[in-house]
Amino acid sequence: MGDKLKGRNAVVTGAGRGIGRAIAIGLAEEGANVVVCDIGGAVDGSGGDKTPADQVVDECKKHGVKAMAQYGDVSKFADAEASVKACVDNFGRIDILCNIAGIDKPKMIWNMTEQEWDQVVGVHMKGTFNFMRCAAPFMREQKFGRIINTTSEAWLGGVTHLNYGAAKGGIVTLTWGGAQELGPAGITVNAICPRAKTRMTDDPKVREMVVKRVEKGLMDASVLKRMDKEMVDPSAFAKIAAFLASDDAALVNGQVFLTTAITIARYSKPEPVTTAENASEGPWNMDMIKAAFTPDKILKGYVNPAPPAPPKPEVKK
Amino acid sequence: MANRLKGRNAVVTGAGSGIGKAVSLSLAKEGANIVACDLGGGIDGKGASTSPADQTVSECKALGVQAVASYGSVADFKAAEAMIKTCVEKFGRIDILVNVAGIDRAKMLWNLSEEDWDIVISVHLKGTFNTIRHAAPFMREQKYGRIVNTISEAWVGTVGHCNYGAAKGGIASLTYAAAWELGKYGVTANAICPRAATRMTMGPDVLAGYKKRVESGLWTKERYDEVTHVAGPDYLAAIPTYLASEAAANVNGCIFGSAGAFFSYWAPAKESAIYNRDWDNYGPWSVDEVEKCMPNLLKGYVNPAPPEKEKK
Repeated sequence: MGDKLKGRNAVVTGAGRGIGRAIAIGLAEEGANVVVCDIGGAVDGSGGDKTPADQVVDECKKHGVKAMAQYGDVSKFADAEASVKACVDNFGRIDILCNIAGIDKPKMIWNMTEQEWDQVVGVHMKGTFNFMRCAAPFMREQKFGRIINTTSEAWLGGVTHLNYGAAKGGIVTLTWGGAQELGPAGITVNAICPRAKTRMTDDPKVREMVVKRVEKGLMDASVLKRMDKEMVDPSAFAKIAAFLASDDAALVNGQVFLTTAITIARYSKPEPVTTAENASEGPWNMDMIKAAFTPDKILKGYVNPAPPAPPKPEVKK
Repeated sequence: MANRLKGRNAVVTGAGSGIGKAVSLSLAKEGANIVACDLGGGIDGKGASTSPADQTVSECKALGVQAVASYGSVADFKAAEAMIKTCVEKFGRIDILVNVAGIDRAKMLWNLSEEDWDIVISVHLKGTFNTIRHAAPFMREQKYGRIVNTISEAWVGTVGHCNYGAAKGGIASLTYAAAWELGKYGVTANAICPRAATRMTMGPDVLAGYKKRVESGLWTKERYDEVTHVAGPDYLAAIPTYLASEAAANVNGCIFGSAGAFFSYWAPAKESAIYNRDWDNYGPWSVDEVEKCMPNLLKGYVNPAPPEKEKK
C-alpha cells in the first residue's frame, strides 16, 4: 500500500465501525499509526463494547503500523483528552485527527425529548469540540496538523433529525472557524459530508421508496442508480480523508466536501445573494420591508421547502 | 402605531436589552402581547436581574398591549417551558416566538475552557431548541406560528469565538430543519443575522479591541469605520417583525442579514464544484486520484488562513 502518511500519528473517533473504521484502516494503509477510539455503543448511543475498537486495531496492525484502542465517550472532555494524550504518549505526537463518532435519535421536534437533544448534540458537536480543543495545543506547538470533521447533508435541512442536523451545522461552523484560527500554524481543518452504507444509513425502506417513485415516474431512474452506487462500504472513499490528512493537502483548509464512492463535491459557504437597501434616514418600517419581499427582489430564486398544506376539504356529514 | 399583529401573542427571549428589547417593542407597536424573557445577566452569562425584563414589560404596556416578564434561563428546559406556558396561560395561545437570548465568551480554541464552550452552546443553541420544542406542539395544533431565530455572521467562520460561531451554525441548521418539519402546519421558521450596535457588539471592551486591530495593522481605518458605523437594533427590528406577521406566510427556512441600512437573503451552502467519476467503472478512490481532481474542485477557493511563513 501507499506511504503518503508514513510516520504520521492519527486519532480517529467512531473508528470501530462504518466510516470511522474505513478511514482508520485507510490511514493505516498509507502508513499512519492509529489510535482507534470507539465506545462500541449502538446507533442510538446506548451500550458499550470493546470488540469493535479492538478488531480495527488488529486490522490496522496488519498494515505494519502501530495501533491502539480507546474506549471512552467522545462527549466527555476528560475522555477526549485521554485519547489525544494516548496518541502523544505512545506514538510521540498527534498529526491527524478525524472526528467521526456519531449517533442518531430521530424524532420530529414536537416529540423530541431533552435527553434526545442533549445526547446527539453531545456526541457529535461537543465530541468534535473536545477532540479539537485537546489536539490544538499539540498541533500548534509542532506547527503541523490535519483535522477532518464529519458533517451530513442534514446540515442543510430535513425532517426527523433536527438534533442531528443542528449538531452537524455546528460542526461545519466549527470547521470554518477552526480553519481560520489554526491555519496560520500549519494546521488545516476540513469536513467530509459522506454518503455510504453503514448501520446508521442502511435502511431497505428508503430504497423501496425510491424504487416506487421511479416506477411512478416521479423520480429519474438515475437517482436510484446513483443511490446504489453510493450506498456501498465507506472504504470506497476512505482515501479522500487520507488525502486531506496528507502533506499534499497543506493548502486545502476550511472546506466541506461531499464524499461518496463516485463523487467529490466542494460546498460553497452560505452567502447573501439578494439585498434591499434602506434609502430613508430612519429605521426600516414594515411597508418598506413588505415592498422588498417579492419573488423578484429579496426572495429571488428562493423556494419554500415546506409550504403550508392546503386546508383539507370539509367532509359532509 | 399599527395593528398588523393585533391579537397575536409573542414570546421574546433576551428581551431585556439590545436586539431582543428592540424586537419586543416593535412587535408591541404592531399590537402583539409580549412575554419578555430575560435572565438579566451580563454579556458573559454571569449574574441575574429582574429589572431589564421588567423595564421592557413597562415599555410594551405603554404601547397599549399586555405584557408579562419571565426571568428564567433559556438554557434550562423547564424554564423555557414556563416561558411558553406563561404566554398560553396569560394570553390564550402563542403565535410568535423570537429567540434572541445570547451570551459571548470569546477565546481562541486552544484557550477555550470546557465551561466556556458549554455555557455559550447552552444559551444560544440549546436555548433556541428549548423554546421551539415547547412552542411547536401549540403552533402545530393551531396550525399557525412564526418562529424567528437569531444567528450571526460568525456562523460562516470567525476568529476568537468558535463556541459562539458553532452555536450559531447549529441554530442556522436547526432553523432549516424546523422550517421543513413545521412548514406544512402553517408554521414558519426563519432566522435573522443582525448587525446592530448593542452592549455585545459595541461595548467599550469591543471597541478597544477593534482599535488594537487598527494599531497593529490587522485592520485598515476604513474597516474600523465600516464595522463601527452601525445603527442601533431599533433600526432593524421591523425585519423580524415582518417575519412574525401574516404577510410572511410563504417565507420559511430563510436567513436574512439584517441591519439598519440593508437586509439580504443568505442562500444556503451548496455543492459549488463537483467531480463525478465514471459510474460504471471504478474501484475505491486512491489518494492520487483525489489529488488529481482537487485543482478543479478548488477553483475560485481562497485559503482563509494559509500557514504563516517561517520567521527568520
